[in-house]
Amino acid sequence: MACAAVLAESGCQNMPEPYAPPVQRQQLENFLPYRMQAIVNMSDEDARTHFVQDITSLETSTWRWTGKRPTVRVRARTTENLRYTIDFAIAEATLLATGPVTVTFLVNDRVLDRARYSRAGNQHFEKAIPPDWVTAGQDVTVGAEIDKLWAPPQKGPKLGMILVRMGITQ
Amino acid sequence: MRQALAALFGAGFTVAACYAAGSLVIERLRVALGRDERIPLAFVLGAACLHVAIFGILALHIAYWPVLAGVLAITIGTAVWTGAWRGVRTDSSKPAPPLSRPLLVVFGLCVGAFSIVYFVNAWAPEVSPDGGGYHLGLVARELRVHGFEATPTNFYFMLSAGVEMLYVPAFAIGRHSAAALVHFAFAIALALAILAYGRRIGKPWAGAAGALLAFASPVAGMDGSTAYVDVATAAIVFGAFYWTEIWDEQKGMRLLIPVGLLAGYAYAAKYTAFTIGIYALGFVAWRSRRLRPVLLVAGCALIMAGPWMARNWIWYQNPIAPFGNWIFRNPYIHVIFEHDYTASLRTYNMPSLWPLPVEVTVRGGFTQGIIGPAFLILPAALVALRYRAGRRLLLAGALVFSTYFGNIGTRFLIPCLPFFSLAIGLALGESIPLLGALMVFHAVASWPPVMNRYVNPNCWRLVRFPYKAALRITPPEKFLSENSYGYAGARLIESNVPPGEPVLTMTGVADAYTTHEILVSFESAGNQAVADTMNMGWNAGLQPSAQRVFRFPERQARRMRVVQTAQAEHPEQWNVHELRFYHQGKELARNLSWRLRAWPNPWEVQFAFDNSLATRWRSGEVAFPGMYLDADFGAEQMVDEVRLITSPEAGIRVQLESMNPANVWEMVSDKPGLESAAVPPGIRLMATSEMRARGIRNLLIYDANYGADDFAKDPEAWGLKLIARGEDTRLYRTIW
Repeated sequence: MACAAVLAESGCQNMPEPYAPPVQRQQLENFLPYRMQAIVNMSDEDARTHFVQDITSLETSTWRWTGKRPTVRVRARTTENLRYTIDFAIAEATLLATGPVTVTFLVNDRVLDRARYSRAGNQHFEKAIPPDWVTAGQDVTVGAEIDKLWAPPQKGPKLGMILVRMGITQ
Repeated sequence: MRQALAALFGAGFTVAACYAAGSLVIERLRVALGRDERIPLAFVLGAACLHVAIFGILALHIAYWPVLAGVLAITIGTAVWTGAWRGVRTDSSKPAPPLSRPLLVVFGLCVGAFSIVYFVNAWAPEVSPDGGGYHLGLVARELRVHGFEATPTNFYFMLSAGVEMLYVPAFAIGRHSAAALVHFAFAIALALAILAYGRRIGKPWAGAAGALLAFASPVAGMDGSTAYVDVATAAIVFGAFYWTEIWDEQKGMRLLIPVGLLAGYAYAAKYTAFTIGIYALGFVAWRSRRLRPVLLVAGCALIMAGPWMARNWIWYQNPIAPFGNWIFRNPYIHVIFEHDYTASLRTYNMPSLWPLPVEVTVRGGFTQGIIGPAFLILPAALVALRYRAGRRLLLAGALVFSTYFGNIGTRFLIPCLPFFSLAIGLALGESIPLLGALMVFHAVASWPPVMNRYVNPNCWRLVRFPYKAALRITPPEKFLSENSYGYAGARLIESNVPPGEPVLTMTGVADAYTTHEILVSFESAGNQAVADTMNMGWNAGLQPSAQRVFRFPERQARRMRVVQTAQAEHPEQWNVHELRFYHQGKELARNLSWRLRAWPNPWEVQFAFDNSLATRWRSGEVAFPGMYLDADFGAEQMVDEVRLITSPEAGIRVQLESMNPANVWEMVSDKPGLESAAVPPGIRLMATSEMRARGIRNLLIYDANYGADDFAKDPEAWGLKLIARGEDTRLYRTIW
């Protein structure tokens, strides 16, 4: 009983010293804990849910073959400082067959820019999106159209580029 | 097949070491035991001793495979070398009454058949919810860090883990199944001990009936085939009782050492079994009428139970954690959680407890298992009161049973079964045919395919004979995926979360199959706070949509507090998202000279002063008069308005007080205006930000969890990205 009384007494005394205020969180209007990154990686578990068109099921764990105009749909939380972003590759085999290709980069079906590629390999394209091209809180379609497709020797769909990721960043 | 053999070896090695340790103690104590009682008693006593050794190894953080194996090997080697293994002091001069042929046939056939079923289930990969969850989750964690580690995020890990200590070496060698096989060994030991006790008192039929009733009891079979601890607890509790009987017969002080060790080990195995300690102390006091024997028992019990109390006191500020939090207040468990949790254990959602006898014997849908319909004749056990042994058995059984209504799960009856089973055996012992019929009835009614005909479909019971899984012909991965509820979630985490990162989840997963820390929403105060914040994102009832505003003539104050003055009804807590002080419309800037206090739950007071509407201080108890939030500004300040941002609440009444220069609290106002407050549209993102600020980047949501749709519909609104999808789960990760 004595032990129990001592234990109980010590339990009741087990109160901490007063605390100072913690680090103050940002006000909501300034609340931006991260840069928006609505990028669809082909390796994402939910990548398919963003596909709109021309992204084939010919894939590895990190990339997919596309058709003529691969397009994804993402949500723009804001219109500020958005950048179109794409990582893709032009395959040696396709380039030999098609010659240099031109890729048109599109946001909500509006042409953001064009680029010509005459060498095979990994490519990265990134460019600011005019704020009035998108509406905050709504979906945006992000696409890339290749002007020449490659017809594989074996039967199958005509192929465009090897897509790794595509979307908008901030 | 290698895994299967490793499991057998791990379990066998551990069981042998337990027996060896017990044999050494028995030899040292110079106790003469019959051959039939020596094996089970030595095993259980040795388990108690070995548990302390492994506790020490874990406390020293040297729980490496060679150390554990070395301790087992040295124990076995010493026992063999000294002759203790063979039991050179075994008293063969007093052979126990021989078992008759009919008894051998009935008992042997029944126990043999059930043993095979239990053994195969124990040998198969561990799929039980608690075994694959916290029992082995704790063991796996300790082996990863080679010792004990404070785990304030999981109240299950705060429970004493005396039996799990034996699972540590078994698991280190043979993984999960080895631990379950050690538990199965306890089931065998229990049956042998009950049988031996019957023979000791000259009632072999009563012993056989008692052993079979307990051993074939469906819930004991289910439990004893997994890495749970209830059957082991029953063996320990009965072992303590058995040693009191031996002491009473032989009357040597040294015989009280096993009594005390096992009484203390019972507490170490399961808190609710502490009552056998009361029995042991009371019995020894009554029979000896001296203080020294009682002190010896108490001292030995403390050797076993003390380390667990000390661990909890040092780590969790509560020697009986996770219970008793209203006495031993601490930051790890909210008082209201303990209240709600224990209340749920007292009912298991049963509308009424009147059907409980039928529920635990025949149906088992609510209380998760049955002890078997044969126990409906338990009242007849009172006939055993006419025997001295019967009176003692029923008294000890009643004491062990006395904690049952704190948790009415059927498996919490297992520690009582040896006593009540033997008492039934004694009561009907005069009519051997009747006893034989009861044994056969119990065996048939408890046989798994027969049980399926009458129990509730939700009854926790053995439903398979997984010999292919036991032999690993069926790949463990396949067997576990198909039969373990939390396994898929654990593997999803293991495959997709970077090493070392914790995962918040609303529902548990099989902890023993992941290396990650799993923060289950309800398993600690800290987890509850984070889960509360996340739930705030989708649940309007938790959001900061109201404010109480005190406006008053400006006054100078150094310290102000808001006091809650009403007695609310369960489960209403007092919640405050933010407490702000103003002068002429401008908020007083919080600075480091401020000092904040709260009562109760002072540890979370900063949630009301962090400028985040996605966190809230909660009282952690049903609101009662006298609760307060107190801010000391460190200097005199002019104040004319105070605002409390709250979620929707009922039964809360608050008043504002200011401390005057004489350090006396004066009431400023008890009539705050109640106004609505705009819930920030980015509340989801703010919630995730708070989760991220606590170092948690991963969130596992079951499709059946409340709010699961909200996360799934628009993860990015939460700042989350879906990184993996299971059959009924989604795993998210913060984007930043």
